[in-house]
Amino acid sequence: MHGAAALLYAICAMGAERDAHAARMQSPVNWALLGLVIDRPSYAYELARRFERTYDGVLSLSSVSHVYTALTTLKERALIEEIPGTRTGRQPKPRYRATAKGLLEYGDWLVDEIREDRRRQRLFVLQLSSFLRDPEAAIGMLDRYEQACLQEVARIPLVPARDCAPPDASHVLLARLTAEESRLALGARLQWVQFARGELRARADAQALRR
Amino acid sequence: MSLLELRDVVKRYRDGRSERVVLRGVSMALEAGELGVVWGPRGAGRSTLLRVAAGLEAPEQGIVLFAGVDLAANGEEVLGDGIGYCHRSHGSGGWQLVLDQVMVSLLARGVAPDAARSSAHAALERTGAAECAGLRLNALRAGEAIRVALARVLALEPRMLVVDEPTAGVEAAERDGILSLLRSFADDGVAVLASTGEPAGLSGTARSWVLGEGELRGAPVSELAPVVPLRRAAGQRPGA
Repeated sequence: MHGAAALLYAICAMGAERDAHAARMQSPVNWALLGLVIDRPSYAYELARRFERTYDGVLSLSSVSHVYTALTTLKERALIEEIPGTRTGRQPKPRYRATAKGLLEYGDWLVDEIREDRRRQRLFVLQLSSFLRDPEAAIGMLDRYEQACLQEVARIPLVPARDCAPPDASHVLLARLTAEESRLALGARLQWVQFARGELRARADAQALRR
Repeated sequence: MSLLELRDVVKRYRDGRSERVVLRGVSMALEAGELGVVWGPRGAGRSTLLRVAAGLEAPEQGIVLFAGVDLAANGEEVLGDGIGYCHRSHGSGGWQLVLDQVMVSLLARGVAPDAARSSAHAALERTGAAECAGLRLNALRAGEAIRVALARVLALEPRMLVVDEPTAGVEAAERDGILSLLRSFADDGVAVLASTGEPAGLSGTARSWVLGEGELRGAPVSELAPVVPLRRAAGQRPGA
């Protein structure tokens, strides 16, 4: 079999295997740990430290043993594997690396998260519809939502200019990517609030005319 | 007493037979040492609000107080002294050198040329535009142009800076540098009121407002956002 055909076959086989694996891993902590292993092979304690640094304020571990449980799950699902020869010495520290399957599933999971984001936002709009019969009350809700968005956007850290940063400053790059994603997402919500307020105001005015 | 206070300000524009209410009973306050930013969609009246707040335009109703002084009655005295109004447009003077542009307002106040040159250099240094001193205004990039405009006003040592669209046209990578600069003025005790056409320009502010349909809605922030350091201190967490 040609190399490319073999690769295609392997990917298809993986896809079929993934389809057969009905229950996708749900724990965001497990996915986050897989991401850290993809970034750099590590042992459990090191992963716990890296997890705390990277996901501070976003995700949390119940304890260091949480990492061991997660690593077991990742191994069982063949998303990571132990690097041979690292379980040596008086205090063995097996290091883990991602498998090709782990890399593929991690990518799938990241992309699928967009659906979850959209679901949450749609849910908010649907829940706001409880107030549609009373547009003034809905506008009141929008005002509160807008205040929350304003406070969130104001809290986004400022990240200095790219050309001033040392080229290897990955913490600056990560901070910049995170900050810009938050700004764009909250900016879109603030713009939606303007649109929704206009629509609701028109409805309120129409209701007032009918009375 | 707040350094700047707007109470129930109303501003209208007449265009032929039609009339547009830009500000409908707007009230706001800004303290010394605070950075406040107004965001609103295009045509919402952000620039009008800033011009009213700076005393450049008088409201039709309501009152604008700067340090307790009614700007409608005393605006000319305060503008250029206590209040610095800043925008990037250099009109037809694009051929001028940056240093001359920053010096000119100092010279107009009777500052001796050597002292004016020294102050202008210091102001350009403070705003991160020192390397632009010998350039012509029309050669500046957007980020440099706003830094120079800020230097021009800052040289006059205002108590309040009013800055129209400081991040408009500025590359995203450079935007936070401008916002950090405005924050640093506030940290020095200057009240800074700015406008932005994009919500991203609200980052790192102490007060942020939305202007829409003539109404101003706002939220004070309980805790200022951090400025991410370029170089991580030993043992410091990323992004902390």
